[in-house]
Amino acid sequence: MKPKVAFFDFASCEGCQLALLNCEDDLLAILAQVELVEFREAISEQAGRYDIAFIEGSIHREQDIERLYDIRSRSKVLVALGACACNGNVQARSNFVAPAENYKAVYGEEDRNRVQVDGEYWPLWTHTRVRAVHEVVKVDYQLRGCPMQPTEFLHLLKSLLTGREPSFPANAVCVECKKNENECVYDRGLACFGPIAFGGCDAICINSGHLCDGCRGLLPYANVKAHRQLLKEMGIDITSVQNRYRLHLSNEPDAGEVRR
Amino acid sequence: MGSYLATEEQVSTWLHLLAKERDLFWPRSVGQFNYSFLPLGERDEICFDRYLPTIVPPGRRLLPDDETLFTSQQGDDRLSHYLPPQPSAPMVLAGVRPCDLKGITQLDTVMAAAPADPYYHQRRVNTVIIAMNCLAPCDSRCFCSAVGALGAQDGADVFLTLLAEGVLVESLSARGDEILVKASFSLCEDGKERRLVAEGTRPLPFGRELAVVPEALPEMLRKGYESPVYHRYGERCYSCGTCNLVCPTCYCFEVRDEMSLDGFSGRRSRTWDSCMIPAFAEVAGPHNFRAEVGERQRHRLKRKFEYLPERFGLGSFCVGCGRCGRQCTANIDILNMVNDIAVEVGGGS
Ligand code: SF4
Ligand code: SF4
Repeated sequence: MKPKVAFFDFASCEGCQLALLNCEDDLLAILAQVELVEFREAISEQAGRYDIAFIEGSIHREQDIERLYDIRSRSKVLVALGACACNGNVQARSNFVAPAENYKAVYGEEDRNRVQVDGEYWPLWTHTRVRAVHEVVKVDYQLRGCPMQPTEFLHLLKSLLTGREPSFPANAVCVECKKNENECVYDRGLACFGPIAFGGCDAICINSGHLCDGCRGLLPYANVKAHRQLLKEMGIDITSVQNRYRLHLSNEPDAGEVRR
Repeated sequence: MGSYLATEEQVSTWLHLLAKERDLFWPRSVGQFNYSFLPLGERDEICFDRYLPTIVPPGRRLLPDDETLFTSQQGDDRLSHYLPPQPSAPMVLAGVRPCDLKGITQLDTVMAAAPADPYYHQRRVNTVIIAMNCLAPCDSRCFCSAVGALGAQDGADVFLTLLAEGVLVESLSARGDEILVKASFSLCEDGKERRLVAEGTRPLPFGRELAVVPEALPEMLRKGYESPVYHRYGERCYSCGTCNLVCPTCYCFEVRDEMSLDGFSGRRSRTWDSCMIPAFAEVAGPHNFRAEVGERQRHRLKRKFEYLPERFGLGSFCVGCGRCGRQCTANIDILNMVNDIAVEVGGGS
């Protein structure tokens, strides 16, 4: 019997599922090996038990938690898919900013005033703490990145189908920069999160002339203290550093608060 | 194995001619401050003396990342069959500095030691090396002279020196003669003498200096085993592995198997690895032989100055190119670390 694979999305842009649809070359081969039982982007149907459940998105509301518990209890293997599911991503920024401030910044003062008094207008405008999936249920594997890396997805799937342990090395982005012989962003006088962030992305942002903002999360051994010190020595303004941490890394235990 | 004198233009024409026959790598500018050994294209200009050590050393071309070790394919008999990797094409590594040359000859020895590495060997015998002499330190990181790499010529097929009167081209091997057949340089009877005169103009000291002679390092490092210096440097370190990946004498790799989705074919490959990355020394248990960053720094340093020199008798396995310090975001410089230990254990000369 083919293993049953399901996809579920929570708070996210569903870009990771789209990234998966972009693995066109392999999609048919995947479908030949698994039975896809739930995939909002493609089909809709309820199935009882899942061999592999992929969870996309971060967890914001009480009813999300109930739904996630339910999926976990029916899944053999549960995979967090993408940065929102793995580290809360951009959404987790709202853990640090009052909802009223956030709302005003996006929709303006008038709308904010209305949402605060009109219970019917948008009941979801406040929410509980934004959490990564592993903060709520046990996660077996994480496919990091914004969006996730299709090659890593295929590696995980192939490993699970053949009964092998997948390997996602906990290496800094710098490793892939060396493999690609990129000029280091620091040589350009700019700050990069590569030395403290999970690689596995092939240093894609730096390859194309940008810098790393750490969308794949901080390494378990990230030397955040040294990184802060380095940025300080470079004369980089601490609020801009804080803003960069808040982009993808708000939920990282060491990174939430940048002290002056 | 003659010597010739040529203009930079003539040498450039000759290199372009060679590059038509096979991949020829020459240091090219990358970004604002860096260089990389890249295939020489038809229209690429060659800069003769204005390049720094490249981001990764030329020897890495002999040990490429993500190298296929074998593939397997299911045959008509429904069994899996081993398929050897495609043999690599001949190549020329050109513009190789003495430090990198010494690194390559050291890799040659390491890779030939049992169990010999056939993949490396296959590439190496297909590789011609055109080296480029150094008459001044490349930058403020350089310490090749202190570790005895400056005079390296072994392993080169052709050796270039930039003289005031032109480029001295010395053939050092039969393969050197072979690739020089295509050149039309004028013969130079006193090539070696001219080179020695030019080398006599090198500044002294040439680059940075070691606090002790390299031969004294193994003993000094044994004495300083518990040195707090490693941990002091470790506090700034990200364990990112850059220092290993850019080192001319680092060669560790990780082996990976990948099956096709249907499970009928597969590929075994190896990728670059680094002993500064925490998982490197992790074993079942889980236990980590070098869980602390200071222990990893110590291991890296002892590999270069104690373990490999004592095992192979080829002198320091740090060739003084300065890459690890140059590329480290935390500015951790291996020579500073050694010298700090020397001061601490009182081994200073
Ligand atoms: S650019 Fe960033 S990721 Fe790349 S080597 Fe430099 S610090 Fe590391
Ligand atoms: S390059 Fe620097 S920061 Fe990275 S592991 Fe080596 S010493 Fe540490």
